[in-house]
Amino acid sequence: MELGNIKDTFDRVAKKQKLSSSKSQEVIDQVGHEIENALAKLQGDPASPVDQKSILVELQTKLSIIGSQSQLEGSQKELNINLSKYTKLLEKSFNPDISKAYRNVDFDFHTVNQIIACHFYRQGLFDIGECLTNESGEPEDTALKSHFLEMFQILEAMKARDLEPALNWVSNNREKLKQNGSNLELKLHRLQFVEILQKGGRADALNYARTYLAPFASLHMDEIQKLMACLLWAGRLDSSPYSELMVPSLWEKLAEELTRQFCSLMGQSYESPLSVAIAAGIEGLPTLLKLANVMAAKKQEWQAMKQLPVPVDLGREFQFHSIFVCPVSRDQGSEENPPMLMPCGHVLCKQSIMKLSKSSTRTFKCPYCPAESSVGQCMQLYF
Amino acid sequence: MEMESLPNGNSAAAAAAVAAAAAAAAAVAPSSKLNQLAESLKLEHQFLRVPFEHFKKSIRANHRIVEKEMSAVISGVADAANADFSRDEAVHHLNSLVSRLQGLKRKLEEGSRTEHLQAQKCRARLDHLESADADNLSDWNNMRLKRILVDYMLRMSYYDTALKLVESSNLQDLVDVEVFHEAKRVIDALQNKEVAPALAWCAENKSRLKKSKSKFEFQLRLQEFIELVRAENNLRAITYARKYLAPWGSTHMKELQRVMATLAFKSNTECATYKVLFEPKQWDYLVDQFKQEFCRLYGMTLEPLLNIYLQAGLSALKTPYCYQDDCTKEDPLSQDSFRKLALPLPYSKQHHSKLVCYITKELMDTENPPMVLPNGYVYSTKALEEMARKNNGQITCPRTGFVCNSSALVKAYIS
Repeated sequence: MELGNIKDTFDRVAKKQKLSSSKSQEVIDQVGHEIENALAKLQGDPASPVDQKSILVELQTKLSIIGSQSQLEGSQKELNINLSKYTKLLEKSFNPDISKAYRNVDFDFHTVNQIIACHFYRQGLFDIGECLTNESGEPEDTALKSHFLEMFQILEAMKARDLEPALNWVSNNREKLKQNGSNLELKLHRLQFVEILQKGGRADALNYARTYLAPFASLHMDEIQKLMACLLWAGRLDSSPYSELMVPSLWEKLAEELTRQFCSLMGQSYESPLSVAIAAGIEGLPTLLKLANVMAAKKQEWQAMKQLPVPVDLGREFQFHSIFVCPVSRDQGSEENPPMLMPCGHVLCKQSIMKLSKSSTRTFKCPYCPAESSVGQCMQLYF
Repeated sequence: MEMESLPNGNSAAAAAAVAAAAAAAAAVAPSSKLNQLAESLKLEHQFLRVPFEHFKKSIRANHRIVEKEMSAVISGVADAANADFSRDEAVHHLNSLVSRLQGLKRKLEEGSRTEHLQAQKCRARLDHLESADADNLSDWNNMRLKRILVDYMLRMSYYDTALKLVESSNLQDLVDVEVFHEAKRVIDALQNKEVAPALAWCAENKSRLKKSKSKFEFQLRLQEFIELVRAENNLRAITYARKYLAPWGSTHMKELQRVMATLAFKSNTECATYKVLFEPKQWDYLVDQFKQEFCRLYGMTLEPLLNIYLQAGLSALKTPYCYQDDCTKEDPLSQDSFRKLALPLPYSKQHHSKLVCYITKELMDTENPPMVLPNGYVYSTKALEEMARKNNGQITCPRTGFVCNSSALVKAYIS
C-alpha cells in the first residue's frame, strides 16, 4: 500500500474540485454581468424610450451562448471521474470490510461499558470514566476506581518531586512488597536522601539517613556506604562518582516500578487488559479476515466453530500460557492428554504414546531418535 | 545494586522481566513490528472513507444548488423575454434575478469553505497514517485505541464521553462526530415514530440509494401507510398509496400487495400475517435498516470497531488455561468481564508448542530450553541456573516445594 500514491490521487481530486468550483463562480459572474448590462440598458436614460423586449431577447441569447460555451459540465465530469478513482483506490489499498470476521454472538455491551470505564481509571482519565458511567448508566466499580485514584495521586506527587505519599504507601505495604521481592522502599528512600542532600545539606541528609536508611543496613550495606560517601559531595553531586543518582530518568523508572508493584498488590495487571486485548485483535484480525474470506460460503460453520482452524500468530508479549502441541498428533496438551517425557528427552502427548505402544503393551521407538522406551519409562510433564 | 530474591509466579518482578523481553523482542526484530504496522494500517478503510464520503456529499449538494439556481435564472430571463413586460416590470424582474445570483454566490462561497475544510480533514488523516513509524509506535497505537473508543461511544450515543475524550487527546480531525450526529437525528425521529427526517435523508442520497437498489424509502412509505390505516384514515391511506407506493409496484409488487391488504383489516387484527405489520417493532426494524444503509453509504462497519477488534483479540488469546484459577493476571482473560465476553468465541489454535517459564514468564525456546525436575515440573534453563547459582546448586520447585540438586535436571527437547 503506497500512501504516497494515495495522497497524490487525493491531491488531484482536490485540485479538480477547486477547478470545478472556480468554473462555477466564473459562469455565475458572467451571467450576472450580462444581466447587469441589460439592466443598465433598461435603466439608462429615464427620458429616452427603450425597447425592453429586444433587450431581454438579446440577454436571453447572450446567456444561452454562455451556457453552451461554459466548461462547467466538463469540469464537473472530470471531478466525478477523479472522485470515483480515489474511491476505487481506497477499496483496493485497504480492506473495505473488516467486519467480515465478526461473529453475531452475544456481546454484552454492559460488560464492554464496564471494561472501558475501568480502562479509563487505569489511564488516570477519571472524569472521562465517570462521564461514561453516568451516560451508560452502568454501576461504578468504586473499589477499583479508588485504588487507581490513590495510585495516580502518588504518581502526581512524584512528578512534582514530592515523595511523601509514595513513602507512606510503601511503609504501609512493607510486608507484601517484601514477599514480591521488591526493594522499592529502599530506592525511594535513596532518592529522597539525594533530594535532601541537594536542597538541605549534609545535616538534614544525615538525619534522614539515620532514621530511614539505617533499617536497610543489614542487607544493603554497600548501597548505604555509597550514599554516605555522597555526603562528601553535598551540593556538587553532579561532579561526584555518584552522579548517576541524580539522573531525572531515575524518577521515571521509579514511578514505573511503583506502578508495577501497586498493580501487582491490587491483583491487577500492569498493562490495561483492554489495551492488550485490542492490540492482540489488531495483530490477529488480518489472519481472521483471510480465514473468513476462505470460509465465506460456510456462515454456519463460522459461527459455530469451537476452535479456530488456523493459528493466529501473535507477538511474544501475548504468550501468557504454555501450550504444548504434540509433534505427532498436533493435538494440544490437556488434562486428559498431558505431555509425556520419554527417556531420550523428546516429548509426546499421552495418546500418541499409547498409540505407538499399542496401548502400553510393547516398547516403542521415539519418532525423532532411534531410542526405545516403554510406557512406564515416560513421565508426565507440568509446564 | 539490586536486592534479588527469586521472584515467584505472579510477582511484579516477573512482569518486569516480561516487559523487558517484549522490549528486547521489539528491538531485535523491528522489521517485523513494522510489517505488522503496515498490515494493521490496511484495516483503516473506514478512517479514510468516511470523511471522503462526507466531502463527496458536499460537492454533490453544491453542484445541485448551482444547477438549480442557474437554470431558474436562465428560465427567468426566458420568461421575461417571452412576456410583455413594461420597462419597470423588466427592471424589477432582472433585479430579482441579480439578487438570486448574489444569493447563489454567497451559498457557493460558504459551500466552498466547507469543502475545503473537509478536504483538509481527508488530508490530515492520510498524514496521520503516514506518521506511524517505529519511533512513535506506542503513542500512535494509543491514539488508535482512543479513536476506536470514540467510535464506540458515538455509536452508543454516549456523546459527552466521546467529546471529552476527543478534546483531551486532540482527536478532532481523526473522528467523525458530525456524521454520527446526522445519523442520530434520523434514528431518534424513527424511534419517535416519525419518518420525516428519514425521508429527507433518502432524498439527499437519492441517486446513491437508487444505484444500490435500496428499498429503504419504500419501507418508510409502507410504514406511513400502515400508520394511516392504524388511525383508520383509509381514504387518505389510499391517496397516499397512489402517490407514494405505486411507483414501487413494478419492483416490489408482492410486498405492496401485502401491505395494501391491511386496509381490509383493522390494527387490532388477530390475523398473524397482518398483525405483525402493525407491531411497534416494525419501527425497530426501520431503525436497523437505516443503520445498515447509512453505514454502507459512508463505508463504515455496522458494528463498532471496538467489538470487531475485541472479538478478534479475545479469540486469538483464548485458551482453556485462561479460565483456570491460576491464570496469570497479565492475561486479560483472567478478568471475569473478559472471560464472559469470550465465552461464545472459538479458542485459539497453535500448530507448534509455545512454552512459557512459570518463574520468569519468558519463552522457553532453543535459546532458553526447558529443563525437567525429577517430579515432572518444567522451568526454563535461565531460571534454574539463576536459582542454582544463589542456592549452592540446590533447586526448589516453586509450585510443589520439591527439592533436588541441579545435576538431577534433564533437558527436554520440544520442537
